[in-house]
Amino acid sequence: MAVIEVKAVSKTYHDPASGRETRTLENVSLSAADNDFLVLLGPSGCGKSTLLNIVAGLVPHDERGGEVLVHSRRVTGPNPKRMAYMFQDPVLYPWRTVLKNVEFGLEAQRIAKQERRARAMKYLQMVGLESFADYYPRQLSGGMCQRVALCRALALETDIVLMDEPFGALDEQSRIILGDELVEIWRKVRRTIVFVTHSLTEAVYLGQRIVVFTARPGRIKAEIRNDLSRPRSIGTPEFNRMIDTLWSHLKEESLLALEREKSTREQVVLPKE
Amino acid sequence: MSPALARMALVLGVLLVWEAFSRFTSVSPILIAPPSEVLWQIVRIVSTHGSVPDFYSNLWVTLAELLAAYAVTASLGVLVGFLFAGSKLIGDAFEPVLLVLYAIPKIILYPLIVLVLGIGMFPKIVFGVMVGIFVVIFNTAAGLRQVEPTYISLARSLGYGKWKIFFSVVIPAAAPTILAGLRLGFGYTILGIITAELLVVNAGLGFLIDWASFNYYTPQLYALIIITLCIGVIGNGLFSVLERRWVR
Repeated sequence: MAVIEVKAVSKTYHDPASGRETRTLENVSLSAADNDFLVLLGPSGCGKSTLLNIVAGLVPHDERGGEVLVHSRRVTGPNPKRMAYMFQDPVLYPWRTVLKNVEFGLEAQRIAKQERRARAMKYLQMVGLESFADYYPRQLSGGMCQRVALCRALALETDIVLMDEPFGALDEQSRIILGDELVEIWRKVRRTIVFVTHSLTEAVYLGQRIVVFTARPGRIKAEIRNDLSRPRSIGTPEFNRMIDTLWSHLKEESLLALEREKSTREQVVLPKE
Repeated sequence: MSPALARMALVLGVLLVWEAFSRFTSVSPILIAPPSEVLWQIVRIVSTHGSVPDFYSNLWVTLAELLAAYAVTASLGVLVGFLFAGSKLIGDAFEPVLLVLYAIPKIILYPLIVLVLGIGMFPKIVFGVMVGIFVVIFNTAAGLRQVEPTYISLARSLGYGKWKIFFSVVIPAAAPTILAGLRLGFGYTILGIITAELLVVNAGLGFLIDWASFNYYTPQLYALIIITLCIGVIGNGLFSVLERRWVR
């Protein structure tokens, strides 16, 4: 059964200063089933992050036509009881300890203190940070901060987790290790994950279903099932074949995006992501 | 050697050289008083056995002016800072005006203030506020504006409403900058009050300092300057305690 349904959604950004319009998404439809690990892959500026923000209810889509349904209900705003959202940056509050940062989302839901603590510690244990509960974010490395952010998202115990290039700012080794941890957790606790990335390797390494986007305005170019057995290893022939398949879809789109970036750099109106 | 020890050693060294210099050279005692004498004067002044007239009533005048001025500086400064950061219209309309006012030397307005408000405590309080309030306003507004937009998106994605975001995200995120402004504003307010007292000399620590200087009571002058400095140091210490408790 589809947990997330995106039906014919478009998104246009208006720049009030210049009056110009930029269409970032065009008639996108997709769905994610229960326990899916869906990867959205596309060239830069293709609107994949925008789509994730629309699903999360952080950004409204164009009024005409489309709609987004989560558990068959229209999305009208952030819904932290159903969907957890993870940003590219960890976004930890420097005045809160690791534990209090993880609890932050639960505080909004008025969950009792003991229950909050227990849940936060459970996920901190899962990523091996339980002994850092009383540290402050500035005492942690980038990878550790991103693990804390992951805990904060998972502690909401929603069945949907939306992730916007969550490991994009990390070095490659931390990326792989965190990816492993994420897959491990995903297999342990049944969640539907929608994961935005522009890394082919990451897409193949993590994804169960990979949706490839076109250059702006983003449309769905291909949808590929990835049934490689887990744990996956980078560089095996099957792995590389998968990457080749993705690249064959993506290559011309990436070139197009790059070309356009060069020629119309100052005319493009895109929100900060 | 710890930094605190190094600092102590330097201070002690300076005091020793100063003492020796004032005792064993022929420099006039009107210019330099030996530290031991100054210390003795502080003790005499504080225990009201010295030659300084009405020390405590004058101290009280200065403290009362300072407290009144700082109460206004802190509350009004933070309030205006919030208005500037909260409303783009208000900020755009009035912040440039305040920046110009901030840039002019406030001291040139003091004769006007005295003319209008007289020579009591009130004009000194007003002048203290004028000198102290700007940095509080600008720091408050800057602190609030500099809150990372992602801090707010995150809270929104977690279901926090406008007011909850304001109190549990915006305020703690801006607190360090606001507190720094309040700390600087305190120093400037003291500066304003003492300056005002030195210009219209009728009461307060400024009055005593002027009296000691005018009569060539050099050890008393040094002692009074140090006592005045102590107010600033104590105030600064209080802010350090606050910052350690609230700011991470």
